[in-house]
Amino acid sequence: MYRYDEFDARIVKDRVEQFRGQVNRRLSGELLEDEFKPLRLQNGVYLQLHAYMLRVAIPYGQLNGAKLRRLAEVSTKYDRGYGHFTTRQNIQYNWVALKDIPDALNDLAEVEMHAIQTSGNCIRNVTSDHFAGAAADEVMDPRPWCEIIRQWSTFHPEFAFLPRKFKFAVTAAAADRAAIAVHDIGLRIVKRGEQVGFEVYVGGGQGRTPLLAALVNDFVPEAELLDYVEAIMRVYNRYGRRDNKYKARIKILVAELGPEEFTRQVEAEYAAQRPHEKIDLPQAEIDRIHAYFAPPAFDAEDGTDAFEAAKAAEPDFAQWAEVNLHPHKQAGHASVTVSLKPIGGAAGDATDLQMEIVAGLAERYAYDDIRVSHAQNLVLPHVPVKHLYAIWQALDAAGLATPNESLITDLIVCPGLDYCNLANARSIPIGQAVQEVFADPKYQREIGRLHINISGCINACGHHHVGHIGILGVDRKGEEFYQISLGGRADEKAAIGAIAGPALKGEDVPGAVKRIIDAYMALRTSPDELFIDTLERVGADPFKEALYATA
Amino acid sequence: MTSVRPKLKPETPKAVTAWETATGKSVWMTEVGTWSDDVGKAAAFTGDIAEARLAEALKQEGKVTDPYFMEVTETGGITGRETIRETIRATGPTVAYGADA
Repeated sequence: MYRYDEFDARIVKDRVEQFRGQVNRRLSGELLEDEFKPLRLQNGVYLQLHAYMLRVAIPYGQLNGAKLRRLAEVSTKYDRGYGHFTTRQNIQYNWVALKDIPDALNDLAEVEMHAIQTSGNCIRNVTSDHFAGAAADEVMDPRPWCEIIRQWSTFHPEFAFLPRKFKFAVTAAAADRAAIAVHDIGLRIVKRGEQVGFEVYVGGGQGRTPLLAALVNDFVPEAELLDYVEAIMRVYNRYGRRDNKYKARIKILVAELGPEEFTRQVEAEYAAQRPHEKIDLPQAEIDRIHAYFAPPAFDAEDGTDAFEAAKAAEPDFAQWAEVNLHPHKQAGHASVTVSLKPIGGAAGDATDLQMEIVAGLAERYAYDDIRVSHAQNLVLPHVPVKHLYAIWQALDAAGLATPNESLITDLIVCPGLDYCNLANARSIPIGQAVQEVFADPKYQREIGRLHINISGCINACGHHHVGHIGILGVDRKGEEFYQISLGGRADEKAAIGAIAGPALKGEDVPGAVKRIIDAYMALRTSPDELFIDTLERVGADPFKEALYATA
Repeated sequence: MTSVRPKLKPETPKAVTAWETATGKSVWMTEVGTWSDDVGKAAAFTGDIAEARLAEALKQEGKVTDPYFMEVTETGGITGRETIRETIRATGPTVAYGADA
């Protein structure tokens, strides 16, 4: 993991004290809300429905025990004993008082954490594959490049006031677990022989105008990456629409110019800036950052026998192991998904005690490495299989062992109208009601991999556009209605879902989803044909019919 | 500034609501112009008096943030098309959270 140097530590501490002064001036009335708002947003502080919300950055979802424990302590001390993990791999506190936020940020700074650039029209937290450094299918660990982009983009003066917010995602695997197609810039690390480079995708995003990113360059050599993305940022900064908030994201610029013309402008900017200002990241610097992400000294002991014996003895453990483990590049190891999706819970929420338990497990058994996934779960990326049973027992006792990773109850759900000042409808209760229908773990496994994503408004924080089944809350004259979309996907075959038809009342959503699933079970050629594959094979019509069928 | 909420007619009874600046708590203006975090104490205003109360609230920037009109009954109860939102602002999330979830 990257460790702060003296400059990083100083910058973050100074920022806390600067914000403390700003908060004090706000509380005295010296600063008006209009003046204070941009300042608080630059420090991750929102004003939500019934409280301030503090969003803390977790760069590319990377944590360790000390950091997660501190996140837990902050929730105990300044909030209501829980936190909400988000689709940007960050954490949000829902109840923190403004007067306490400088102290909370000071506590976080002690473990090298902050809330800088978690809001505002700047480059936000860089997200990545939550199995980075562990996945058997990656060409290399993408985290060093996330860190390089983080350092380049942090306080970059030229990109502090972009037309709109800006999101990067980086993957290094063929299976895209970072949703790069729906980011402002999505990067896929590839190798040509020994040379490392990047496929660069630009102009994806969700919100009210969902668009998939266009490939603008299929191989930018690693040393040139920062120069290249800087050229993209410059074209956007100059020509992005500042006149209309709803047209200000880079996706609109790319769509209006067309990917070819946009690419031409980027290439022209790149050629023009290179002779004068090239960064050309030196190999020594690339190597220095990579050194922070060296793999742990993996345990060589083969624990397979004990693992198999435990599975044979304990069916619940076997079921969890079948669903919540991911193949690891190191023999005798697996990556563990710690589900934050218990049936009837709020997706992505974890209590202080749960965070402390996961922190302790990581330290004791899992090389002190923890990730937040964009699907709002926690991950222990490196776990010797001999420790899996002990880990499962502890997780199970803490309500963290729901066997549902990537199954129908592993929903992505935004906070919705229960918390959010922008929401039109509630999301969490809809998610809970859908979960109840499919609560039986065996039934979930029969259905197979299926992503349901729920957003409480068109801003799409719950990624409904890329859910296999998407659910969008809308307001109809004061009543909550829900629009169902079908066929979205966030992976390497990314697609935007299409609205199935008229919106439904909340109480009708679980039954409608059940009818869609019944149709799928009847239509699939075999249990191996996933919902999304059946949908793509037969089209949406049979599902729409089922959705709107009344008994 | 104020939150952008639906426009209410002058004769529609309305409460003045805002967030307490120091804590972020939802607060409502009482009959006597003080602030309470109990929605039951919200006073209903109409016409010019309502406008005067909102103007007063806007001057109390250090104490409260983003005051706006919220539709209420004549006795100050939450009503109208934002009933769900305003009820959640007043009574909290409709789902259990934290250790209670």
